[in-house]
Amino acid sequence: MTIIYVDNNATTAIAREVRQAMEPFFTEHYFNPSSMYEPAKRTARAVAAARETIARFLGAAPQEVLFTACATESNNAAIFGATRANPSRRHILTTAVEHPAVLEVCKELARSGYEVTFLSVDRAGNLDLGEFVRALRPDTLLVSIMHANNETGVVFPIERLSRIVKETDPSILFHTDATQTAGKIPIRLDRELIHVDMLSFSGHKLHAPKGIGALYVRRGTAWRPWMIGGHQEGGRRAGTENVPYIVGMAKAVELAAEHAAEEETRIRRLRDRLEEGILERVPWVEINGRGAPRLPNTLNVACHFIEGEGILYQLNEHGICASSGSACTSGSLEPSHVLRAMQVPFTAVQGSVRFSLSRYNTEEEIDRILEVFPRVVASLRRISPYWDSQTNAPRPEAEQMLVSAAPQPA
Amino acid sequence: MAWEYSEKTKQIFMDAVHGKPGTHMGEIENPDGFGEHGSIVCGDALRFTFRVRRHPTDPTKDVITEARYLTFGCTSAIAASEALCSLIEQGQYTPIEALKITNEDIVKYLEGLPQQKIHCSVMGAEALESAVFNWAQKRGVDLKKLGIHIHAEEEKEGRIVCKCFSLSEPYLRRKIEELNLRTIADITNATKAGGACMACHHAPGGLQDLLNEIWGQGGTRLRIVPKAAPSEPPAAPAPIGVSPFQFYKKVEKTIEEVVRPALARDGGNVEVIDIKDNLVFCRLSGACAGCASASQTLKLMVEKTLKDLVDERIRVIEV
Repeated sequence: MTIIYVDNNATTAIAREVRQAMEPFFTEHYFNPSSMYEPAKRTARAVAAARETIARFLGAAPQEVLFTACATESNNAAIFGATRANPSRRHILTTAVEHPAVLEVCKELARSGYEVTFLSVDRAGNLDLGEFVRALRPDTLLVSIMHANNETGVVFPIERLSRIVKETDPSILFHTDATQTAGKIPIRLDRELIHVDMLSFSGHKLHAPKGIGALYVRRGTAWRPWMIGGHQEGGRRAGTENVPYIVGMAKAVELAAEHAAEEETRIRRLRDRLEEGILERVPWVEINGRGAPRLPNTLNVACHFIEGEGILYQLNEHGICASSGSACTSGSLEPSHVLRAMQVPFTAVQGSVRFSLSRYNTEEEIDRILEVFPRVVASLRRISPYWDSQTNAPRPEAEQMLVSAAPQPA
Repeated sequence: MAWEYSEKTKQIFMDAVHGKPGTHMGEIENPDGFGEHGSIVCGDALRFTFRVRRHPTDPTKDVITEARYLTFGCTSAIAASEALCSLIEQGQYTPIEALKITNEDIVKYLEGLPQQKIHCSVMGAEALESAVFNWAQKRGVDLKKLGIHIHAEEEKEGRIVCKCFSLSEPYLRRKIEELNLRTIADITNATKAGGACMACHHAPGGLQDLLNEIWGQGGTRLRIVPKAAPSEPPAAPAPIGVSPFQFYKKVEKTIEEVVRPALARDGGNVEVIDIKDNLVFCRLSGACAGCASASQTLKLMVEKTLKDLVDERIRVIEV
């Protein structure tokens, strides 16, 4: 069976060009870039060139780019590193919808005596700028807000938020987790994002392999290294450079820059085709984040009165790979914290499905999903105790539940 | 989390969603027994109905001939519902005999379930109990007299331990003993209790306390994390000269009397979001919102006016 892969916010296929660029560094160019002999210099030059490529991609200087193992490491390093360099400040501002790699780090800091404010979002997934401004304090150390949400694709106005922070108090550090935006929408740290101090992302969301990430730290930022014990990365992230993966990430970034226009045009068209098609064919669904600016590749559909795991399982039987915010797929029995923060009713949180596209998806694949998805939803609704198959609508008492099922944010 | 279901579970699920003959999806009209368990909030819910062949004189000899379910839930919840109905119909049980079907029987029928999905089989057994209770009421059978206790009905009362999934102390106590649950993880896998906010794990009267009371001490202990000493906040900027209250009043008055009328001439307006020391956070609205020169207007007009009329240290920040 051919696979239709529409889970690109989870990870992406490794581009053929990326693998080819990496290969020599597994075979003939295996040398430690720190070594003195001639062959090692070539690996050192490859790392330097990769750093320059990624810096150019971000609008940064090469010395401002650190290689890490993943975006989770980058986020940990950014946040813990900021706290260690600014011990007199004790307040951190973040949002309720961050990825766990930021959310859990902030909760850990809260357990060790920091005060953390988790900003709420509205039904569309937008932040309230008034709430944001009022949350800034004289002892605010760090603001960490994601660039775009991994589940809904909602994009936060980082340009505006970081400017407000710096105009309020230039000593407050601003970090953004750009894991979902790198390669999908432009990131210009020398222009729109000039007020951002730290930015994280990883390779495997843009067709490089898993195991490589990057952290941007603006020159002059009060930040201390997280991983120490070596001179690599200017002493700011110790550990022998992962040369093949660094080379691969740079190649992936180059390809992303080449295809940048495609994200906004072809991929957005495919996503919209899927979205409109589902809305036409399936009753009682809603699109999470539809009222907010969204990434061009992400579609989060909430299907009322059915459970997402059963949807995914049946899609899987048709070779379609997607993901869900339902409790049963989370590994923790807890439904998506993002959808709950958006006050999506429980009748729909459990039945949410995320499709996330990449440049490798085709129109035929979208049409195939449109053929399968409505049947899958219908088959589970036939079984659902909240659905009346005769009228093909929710039972009256279930419809009532919809009104009262708005969850409290966690 | 990849699917680790047995082939049997997968087959039963696919047969059920495709409504293959011999499957049990549906609801019996005017059933002899009706039971429900779970809710949409918890992520799974089961509505279970059965019909009996009535015995002319002794209702305890009624035999279940047909069982149906409607389930909101994941692959294993649907497969477990299907298994429950098959087991009951195959066994030609009386409702009272059917009570002997345990969640372990369901797991066995499915040829195993992943640990974290065990609660799906428990749900089936609970819905069955509640349906048998309903049957007994309809048929005038006094279950207590027969020495049968329907826990599910009794346990709707009682202190709620796990608030996320609305699970009561009596229910959890019974499940801990019945299923020999020894750790918090065991409890979560079997009943979902403690699977969401986790606040009940080590709370007084929480899951660990229940485990300790039932199995004796020796469980995990709470580690007390010392709170870091509060440090001095950085010095605030120089005071503005008047009290904050007077300062806000003055800013508001100036905006009301000078800034607003000026902006209104162009169909615009301004909203003050917050004031922190000398910083005034504003948002332009009306015709000004989205205007390309909105930032300029704020700096040149609003900020300048406030600087001139209130305090020259004022800075306006556009929100």
